[in-house]
Amino acid sequence: MTAIALPAVRTKRRRSRRLPVSARIAAGVIGLVVVAVLLAPVLAPHNPTQGQLGERLAGIGTAGHLLGTDGQGRDILSRLLYGGRLSLLSGLIPVLVAAVIGTLLGLLAGLGNRFTNGAVMRTLDVFYAFPAVLLAIAIAAALGSGASNAIVALSVILIPPIARIAETETARLRGADFMEAARASGARTSSIAIRQVLPNIAPAIVVYCTALIGLCIVYSAGLSYLGLGIAPPAPEWGVMISDLQQYTFTKPELLLMPALAILVASVAFNVLGDGLGSYFNVRQEVR
Amino acid sequence: MTLYLLKRLGSAIPILIGVSIVVFITIKIIPGDPVASLLGPTSSPQARAELTARLGLDQPLPIQYLSWGAHLFQGDLGDSIAKHVPVLSLVLDAFGNTLVLATFAAVVAFVLGILLGGVSALRRGRVSAAISNAISLFSISVPQYSIGLLLIIYLATGAGLFPTAGMYDPINGGGWGDLFLHLVLPGVTAALVPAGIIARMFRSCVIDVMSMDFIDAMRSRGLSELRILKHAFHNTLPTLMTIAGLQLGYLLGGVIFVETVFSWPGLGLLVYQSITQRDLPVIQAGVIVSALAFVVINVVVDVLQAAIDPRVRA
Amino acid sequence: MSQTVQEIPARVASAEALRVDDLAVSFAVHGGQVHAVRSVSFHVRAGQTLVLLGESGSGKSVTARAIMRLHGRRAKVTGRVELSGREVLALSDPDVRALRGSRIALVPQDPTAALDPLRRVGAQITEVLLLHRAAPDKKAAQARTRELLRAVGIPDPERAYRSFPHEMSGGMRQRVVIAMGISCDPDVIIADEPTTALDVTVQAQILDLFAELQGRLNTALLMVTHDVHVAADVADLVAVMYAGRIVETGPAADVLKTPRHPYTQALLDALPTPQTARGELHAIAGSPPVAGQEFPGCAFADRCTHALDTCRTAEPRLVEVAPGRRAACPVLNPTEAP
Repeated sequence: MTAIALPAVRTKRRRSRRLPVSARIAAGVIGLVVVAVLLAPVLAPHNPTQGQLGERLAGIGTAGHLLGTDGQGRDILSRLLYGGRLSLLSGLIPVLVAAVIGTLLGLLAGLGNRFTNGAVMRTLDVFYAFPAVLLAIAIAAALGSGASNAIVALSVILIPPIARIAETETARLRGADFMEAARASGARTSSIAIRQVLPNIAPAIVVYCTALIGLCIVYSAGLSYLGLGIAPPAPEWGVMISDLQQYTFTKPELLLMPALAILVASVAFNVLGDGLGSYFNVRQEVR
Repeated sequence: MTLYLLKRLGSAIPILIGVSIVVFITIKIIPGDPVASLLGPTSSPQARAELTARLGLDQPLPIQYLSWGAHLFQGDLGDSIAKHVPVLSLVLDAFGNTLVLATFAAVVAFVLGILLGGVSALRRGRVSAAISNAISLFSISVPQYSIGLLLIIYLATGAGLFPTAGMYDPINGGGWGDLFLHLVLPGVTAALVPAGIIARMFRSCVIDVMSMDFIDAMRSRGLSELRILKHAFHNTLPTLMTIAGLQLGYLLGGVIFVETVFSWPGLGLLVYQSITQRDLPVIQAGVIVSALAFVVINVVVDVLQAAIDPRVRA
Repeated sequence: MSQTVQEIPARVASAEALRVDDLAVSFAVHGGQVHAVRSVSFHVRAGQTLVLLGESGSGKSVTARAIMRLHGRRAKVTGRVELSGREVLALSDPDVRALRGSRIALVPQDPTAALDPLRRVGAQITEVLLLHRAAPDKKAAQARTRELLRAVGIPDPERAYRSFPHEMSGGMRQRVVIAMGISCDPDVIIADEPTTALDVTVQAQILDLFAELQGRLNTALLMVTHDVHVAADVADLVAVMYAGRIVETGPAADVLKTPRHPYTQALLDALPTPQTARGELHAIAGSPPVAGQEFPGCAFADRCTHALDTCRTAEPRLVEVAPGRRAACPVLNPTEAP
């Protein structure tokens, strides 16, 4: 290395000490949303599932119904607050499930012998061949509607990409000196995996999964919108869009509310993921 | 090159076999007895046993798979429960329509993504880059179903610029112009997410290439910045191919929301309708056909990549 | 090859191809300026080889790149760089581009990274020839490319022409890059650690190639290296750099035989020779300065065995210590009291 690139290289290699401002704002937004939906019983002005037909399709800003009411006279703000619980959970749980399974598979493939690696990776290739959304819909359709089936379907489609990242990162470590040292000292593979590899591959997985939560919120609301996830009358953002869709031409602003909720949550997780990426200096790769 | 092509084609075969196994297993784990549902709840046990034997459902699973696979190989995917026509023709028609929409969306996404990503990479640290980044971030986070509805509200019914639904005008429709008008809204809606993804991937690819030593070496040989950009773009092409393939594949399977919103008679809408009718053979065939298309796209991408990058051919 | 300038009178008479006066380079980094190179002056005549010798971070590559104006906007470059009579730092961007690759060529450190991986080697050389109009048309450029490949000792120029960079060995790639460097018959070639990325056996061949080409083309060669052996092998003149400054300069044979600066001494002491007895190698104590590190006095004082208290407060100037030799150490080169 000559001196030319020194100033640049030194700042680039070092992990940036602080989370970018945008990511802090995103984390703040996520925190606010989480607190709001947790406090839904306190904050919600009305019962989310019982409406008064006399007050149906009230506009935004109506007294008592800040964000209006839907076709059955249910308060939209209350439904958004309660619905956020299901929407956020069904965005979070599949990612958590897939992260655990995907990381295990990735470690197995990355640390295993050629046969294990081949078996795991070729199986993943098969799952990669299915278009993710269509596969999720097909699985959810086969299992029947319901929140838990949608979660299963989404978990299945998220496993392959996470496993692939875990495998790539693990394989990258395989030649590292500390790995050789651990192996030479007679450490068992499982202990190497937990003590040496996991802490090293965790940043990449956390960064990717954070962004995936945003995507998963959109997908799970999409499944409910298609009638495959959480079933009405339960309040959920995707269900709300589907409910309000018939008033698209008369009261489009009502439809905007759940759509904005999904957009805000999804953008926040994506921004947070980006920020974590630059914090941990994780490269974005084509996958 | 020919050898590479053959090798790559060969490697697609096990994946296709894997796909068929996954679909077969999915059929098998679906709750409910297919024989009972075919014959109705009042059928006699004897009739059920007879049909079970006739359908080969009493055979061991591997045998069942082989016979199912043989039918599949001959293009026999069974009949639609709801429409009583061969599933394959139904699915292929719909797939053709999806291909039209997905290709249009892919072109839009590509142009948009390369513009956004290029600006963001080459104008780093400036306002234009920040704006590009913000646009791509929003577009990957957008729920297509609601954006689609909003476009309908404002551009279709509101401004009356585009038709709200379908592929052709039913009364005096037909022709390329009509198709294009019908394509704009669903196409743009479907393109948003991939455009954002392409922009972000292309950005990091351009930054990578521009920081490579040979870019600087070209500068030291006196090449103009424009010419250097040309060579740099050439070097992003292999990655760009990969991104393109992934996104086209994503669009083929992912336009289901858009097709539902805009009543586009494609595979997504067909699958969606089949879900409400619990028409499993159609869903099955839809999944198989789009997986097949995805594998084909991947082979094409790899071959194109090998054509551009000599290191891949080796 | 280690001749002194005096031994080749024909070249002494020849014109200065490159003259650098009081060159300073600093980079804007968050919260300030990092001074990478300061008050660097030297000149090289046609046919002469000047070696910039120093550890990584000493500013030798920064100097080389500043001469070609390859630092981007983040860098502030002051001083004068005269290339065959033209003031490089004052030229417009297009004028500088016209010089690069034609009047002054850079042979980069890592030939593998310096070639476009997706284009054939021949096309990349031809491009440079056509760009600088060193060949009237494409056909002539292609013919000239094959000639150049032969000239740099590539055994099968025809095959090399059609090869992609990854299909060649490191040594062959370095020859390709050198062919590109000499393609437009430049006045000055800057070679930045041209042998660092190569195997030891190939290193010698490449150095021989430089010597041979230079003899034939009468080009001025500015070679940047951290390797004292390379310097001893090729240099007519040597300039030793430390912490962004030249600390000693003069004819290579003299400087490397009787160094007049403690740092040069230390560099030579750290070198194993066949005569070195076991345990006699002397590593330089302490660690080299980080690029841009500021010192109130002599940058080398903390690692120097000769250092006096005054070394840490007063910055030593580069002064003539013998005919044609200058050094920046008042301790080893005491002047008569004024």
